[in-house]
Amino acid sequence: MLRYILRRLLLLPLVALGVTFLLFFLTQRLSPEMRASLYIKDPRQMGALEEVIEKYGLRDNVFKQYGRWLSSALHGDLGYSQSANMPVAQAIKEYLPATVQLAVVTIVLVVFFGVWFGVVSAVKKDKWQDVCARLLSVGGFSLPIFVLGLLLLMLFYGKLGWFPPGGYSVSTDVIVHSPSFHPYTGFLLIDALLNGNMTVFWDVLRHLVLPAVTLCIGSFALMVRVMRSSMLEELGKDYVRTARAKGLPEHAVVYRHAGKNAIIPVITLAGIQFIRLLGGTVIVETIFDYPGIGRFGVTAAQQLDIAGIMGFSLMVAVLFVLGNLLSDVLYTAVDPRIKLSE
Amino acid sequence: MNACEDTVLQVEDLRVCFSNEQGKTEVLRGLSYCLQKGKVLAVVGESGCGKTVHALSLLKLLPPGGEITGGRILYRGRDVLSMPQESLRKLRGAGMSMIFQDPMTSLNPIRTIGKQIMETIEAHSTVSKRRAQARMLRLLKKVGIENPRQRINEYPFQFSGGQRQRIMIAMALCLRPTVLIADEPTTALDVTIQAQILKLIKNLQGQNGMSAVFITHNLAIVADIADEVLVLYGGYCVEQAEVKSLFAQPLHPYTQGLLGSLVSLKRKDERLPAIEGYPPAPGTPEEGCPFAPRCPHAWEKCRAELPSLFEKDGRKVRCWLVEENEKPREN
Repeated sequence: MLRYILRRLLLLPLVALGVTFLLFFLTQRLSPEMRASLYIKDPRQMGALEEVIEKYGLRDNVFKQYGRWLSSALHGDLGYSQSANMPVAQAIKEYLPATVQLAVVTIVLVVFFGVWFGVVSAVKKDKWQDVCARLLSVGGFSLPIFVLGLLLLMLFYGKLGWFPPGGYSVSTDVIVHSPSFHPYTGFLLIDALLNGNMTVFWDVLRHLVLPAVTLCIGSFALMVRVMRSSMLEELGKDYVRTARAKGLPEHAVVYRHAGKNAIIPVITLAGIQFIRLLGGTVIVETIFDYPGIGRFGVTAAQQLDIAGIMGFSLMVAVLFVLGNLLSDVLYTAVDPRIKLSE
Repeated sequence: MNACEDTVLQVEDLRVCFSNEQGKTEVLRGLSYCLQKGKVLAVVGESGCGKTVHALSLLKLLPPGGEITGGRILYRGRDVLSMPQESLRKLRGAGMSMIFQDPMTSLNPIRTIGKQIMETIEAHSTVSKRRAQARMLRLLKKVGIENPRQRINEYPFQFSGGQRQRIMIAMALCLRPTVLIADEPTTALDVTIQAQILKLIKNLQGQNGMSAVFITHNLAIVADIADEVLVLYGGYCVEQAEVKSLFAQPLHPYTQGLLGSLVSLKRKDERLPAIEGYPPAPGTPEEGCPFAPRCPHAWEKCRAELPSLFEKDGRKVRCWLVEENEKPREN
């Protein structure tokens, strides 16, 4: 098990290297002038273009330039993000926790409701509960995230004013950045609890509801389907009949026996969905103006902030490998037949 | 059929149907018997004759699509089919427990076998955990699992097929059921283990007065363990008799064929005789005796009309040949 994890971790630099080089290579398709112009804010200083190109060696060979980026990246310097107005490393540190927080809340909701609805749907096959769950699932599949997000925003903010967009209110912003508020973890929900500040906690939670619900829907629809079919398959197996024949109560048969077996494929799926959420909340963060890493990534891409793009994709690659590893490890926890070895 | 005082399980005219898109198929067509305390009833027959369906319907465990369409099942006088869900749950495992045919798939693959046995005990009795565990360990030892204390923490995939079957058996016996329903329990076991298991079941019968419905196609086991034999063919009971008289003088041509295909040391034949043809597909709509197409003695009447279950000297047989032979004597 440990050897397996180590081996997978050894793979991590390779993946990171591949992804970043590919992206770097793509950015080189832009002329050095275009890349240099990003650093010049004032149009009157355009004459300094050649100076910038010279200074940063933008005309050098791709490999040489990539080598420079890599060596400073290895020293912890990912460059300066023009779009975020701060070093890339700091931007990631600032924005990633908000996204992780959103992704965790979302995946918890998805797994909880997905599994629950999937089980009920399978147990009550072809009854009204099943029909409802299936309709909900088809609806979730068919509704594009940006349509749903805007609809929710219109209804719950525009009409009702319950759940505002953004990451937190201005008053919270002031509290959070005041010296009396200790940022223990960077995750505002947890920090608010640790600081004993419930006002901040509720405010952050209130801002989390709409993006989380919007993100949920697609994954939830998928989860219900997978859980339902997995559960139906397990319920038909011999060991379930044995469990009934032993005189176990029905809830034990359904949850303890069939459910635990049925959830195995769901766990891998949840792992993949979680990683997807970390890197792919771009649309939702943009719609709700949520200060997460997705919004940082999309702004960087829009403004051709190459350092920002590189940093963002490096982070996604690392998270992807780690997330997959986590889901493999989780697999062994639920299924004793699986051993992570060669 | 008179219910005697010691009857623990009584089945009356049990009928089971399976339905699918093509329609309904009757796979069990009126089965009746009476099981006394401490007795073993063997149900014999070829694959597809309704043995397993009969076993599953005793505990209302038919798979989706299967339905009990008629008859009654009485456990100690209580109607199993109309029982409320909770009483049925309490009956399963404790009153009537069951050993399934396929040991490879009948245990939960991701639950330790210790937990699977313990939960059975805990679902029915209030004994302390320690006593329950002690009982489990004793029983596992009895069915021939070495080092039970370590092995209860292992998962089914860590056991061989035969061991899994023995675990199933231990699980079915852990609550000392009144009636044990065993669906080909020893098919997956080698002969020495088979003998041990049969001995264990016999012991329990003697000690606790356990009764058993033993479903098998192994006639050697029948001769060894059963008190009474019921021969199923095409969903019908074709012959029912006390074990000794059945082996001494099988009345139905099908039973004769079954016994004729037994291997014996005294036998000198080159080839074992076999019953020609194949058993009917379940639910084949038919008139007449289901065995008629394969029967060496069949005549028009057999093909035209289903024989009734004819009683003679305390045994029952469903055959025109026997019934017609008896008639002249009565006249």
